[in-house]
Amino acid sequence: MNKREFGFDHLGRGPNDRYRVFKNSDLLRKFLRYRAPFAVYSSVAFYKKPWKRGEWLKSELVFDVDAKDLPVRSCNCDSVCEICLDEALQIVGSIIDVLKEDLGLKNVHVIYSGRGYHIRVLDPAAMQLNSEVRSQILKYVSGAFNPKNRYYMESLPGQKPYELEHFTIPVGYSAVFTDRIKYIILHLTGEEEIDQINPRLLKDVMQNRHFLEEEKWGLFKNKIGPRRYKNLVDGIAKLNLGLVDAKVSIDLKRILRLPTSLHSKVSMKCMKVDNIENFDPLKEAVPKFVRERKEF
Amino acid sequence: MVSSYFLYPLSDEGEQIVRQQGSLENLFLEDKDLMDLVIHTKSQNISNDSYIPKSLAEYTLKRVEWYVRKKYDKEYEHNDYAFLLNPELEIYDVISFYIAAQSIGINFNPNSRESRVFIESQGQLIQERLETLSKTLREETIAKLLNQLIAADNLHWTSLAELLGSKKINLSHLIIDKGQIILDKKDFLDRFEHKIEDRIPEKMYDILIGDKIKELIVNRMIMQNTENYISKVHEMVSNVEAHPSLIQIGAKISKTLTENYSYSSNQGGDIKASKFQVEAFPPCIQNTMDGVSAGNRNDAIVLLMTSFLSYARLYPSVFKNKADLKISDLDKGLKITTTEILPLIYEAAQNCNPPLFEDDPQEKLNITAKLGFGVHETPELDKEGESKWYTPMSCEKIKIHLPVLCQPDENCKKIGNPLSYYNLKKWLMKQSMTNQQTENTKKSEGN
Ligand code: SF4
Ligand SMILES: [Zn+2]
Repeated sequence: MNKREFGFDHLGRGPNDRYRVFKNSDLLRKFLRYRAPFAVYSSVAFYKKPWKRGEWLKSELVFDVDAKDLPVRSCNCDSVCEICLDEALQIVGSIIDVLKEDLGLKNVHVIYSGRGYHIRVLDPAAMQLNSEVRSQILKYVSGAFNPKNRYYMESLPGQKPYELEHFTIPVGYSAVFTDRIKYIILHLTGEEEIDQINPRLLKDVMQNRHFLEEEKWGLFKNKIGPRRYKNLVDGIAKLNLGLVDAKVSIDLKRILRLPTSLHSKVSMKCMKVDNIENFDPLKEAVPKFVRERKEF
Repeated sequence: MVSSYFLYPLSDEGEQIVRQQGSLENLFLEDKDLMDLVIHTKSQNISNDSYIPKSLAEYTLKRVEWYVRKKYDKEYEHNDYAFLLNPELEIYDVISFYIAAQSIGINFNPNSRESRVFIESQGQLIQERLETLSKTLREETIAKLLNQLIAADNLHWTSLAELLGSKKINLSHLIIDKGQIILDKKDFLDRFEHKIEDRIPEKMYDILIGDKIKELIVNRMIMQNTENYISKVHEMVSNVEAHPSLIQIGAKISKTLTENYSYSSNQGGDIKASKFQVEAFPPCIQNTMDGVSAGNRNDAIVLLMTSFLSYARLYPSVFKNKADLKISDLDKGLKITTTEILPLIYEAAQNCNPPLFEDDPQEKLNITAKLGFGVHETPELDKEGESKWYTPMSCEKIKIHLPVLCQPDENCKKIGNPLSYYNLKKWLMKQSMTNQQTENTKKSEGN
């Protein structure tokens, strides 16, 4: 704890008091009681000299999934609601799967942030990684680009490539990509405006997407047509980049809302999620005083 | 069988050879054995005396020249350099590797194009030397190298963090399961056989992994080691006196690059450098010119504007041409840079809210650095190469780092980089101008 930087929002307009350091949680508690800030933040980074963000040691690997900014939401609410929070949680679940099953990372935590979720990885193997690697991981777990579909058996020049679409490869990044494409297609409302996907294509996708529920990708692709299929997945890949707030993941020195503190704009508690299967933010993260107020 | 040091000069064996046989005294002396081996290399072109290196120094330069010519010269002929794949020359090759790496480390920055070209050339040499081997021999060689390069049996992907972080390998090209990079066929089948339905699992392995992932890792690790070696030499330079021969060779390497690059950039292509046409700037750049607020300000000016404006003005064909140029290759006395490019960058910085240099004067130095002139107040010729001339950010990167600035219009759909947008728009504008002119001529003819 004494290697992290803390930040506070005393005026309610974002963190304005940074570079604070606390030796232990007792001192932090005292500070909080005395100054009563609107919000409390702590750095994902550990420093030798946190009071001046000096001598960076390591940083948590973070993924910020904000329900309000999801590229595809089935609700049409203007901030967050039960539906999009639930969708954010589904995405969080599938990202965690890849972090653990593919990348073998341990020590993966989920924090409910007030309007979405933070995945925070404290695996020592991940904490040393630089921004470039983090951005590669981010693209990997969110399915942010169409994987190559031509493969060469040997690296000899002049031979014909094998053409394999992502859905025929059940391992590695291709499998993750297939999963993300499926999720988005099944969650489209049909009203979206997506780059590279014109209204007719979108309509055909809506009409044929039931094939994907049974994993009939070949059929689905045939119905759409190979050229339009490429447009479709390229378009969705770009969209996937918005599943996670990339800036948070690549910024090694960011400060994040402290778990158990209060999100002052939405009056919800920022808290650790122990079991993502049955977490319900509207029940668990609403602080007592708000609930009471509502009831009266 | 090829010795592993023919591919990996920094191996223990390689080091030993250099310690025993490498001497800097006779670098420039004619070496009959060397010439003999070169001349008798199968299919080596000997029609011109200049194809044959006569000393170790010349061999060293040939190694670099081969790579630049292969990459940029349309008239490149493999047989002019066939000797580079001849394993009988392996001892010369190892020694010349050290000569080149040390000369570069002494004379240039680890970021300089001299370093980069040399590191890439080593990767390409490994590739081509492997291709001369039979399949079994190639597999054996790779297995042996992999063993030397990686201590453990299990390869956790984070142990390649350095290669990933320097973009030598992309995470998505690896098949990773529970953190392990899968290289072995049996391992692959054990883990995934049950998942693969419509295809033969063995074949799936050959297609996805086979030998090529191992080769990729070996190749990139050797490149990385080469890079690290150059950095190490570079750090030590200040403490020890450099051998004059090495200084001389460094200068010659640099000259070889410049000669061959100017060759490629003279071929120009249809995208010519010309004065700024502000109307052709893409939305993100226009938005930045209009001023950016705190938060995005620093990246927008230092990364986006600096790279975009300098390439747009000096080297708009960078992505087509691919030659790795320095600013001074294109703007000899830095006149354009100081009178056209920098003023525009500074103007955009001034338009920020609050003006960038007012509370962050340090950023001026970072702008100089992104132009390739190290961390200094202004660009100066003798500092060039202390940093890398940062290439224009792609739209994808802009969407990640500076999403507020990207407000795509119709033309944005056709491109992946603001610089390509600029080239396209310039072309379209010219097109519509000529159309208008012909229209006008038609009209006047009709009258
Ligand atoms: S798409 Fe590219 S060129 Fe167009 S505004 Fe966005 S970043 Fe700029
Ligand atoms: Zn909602």
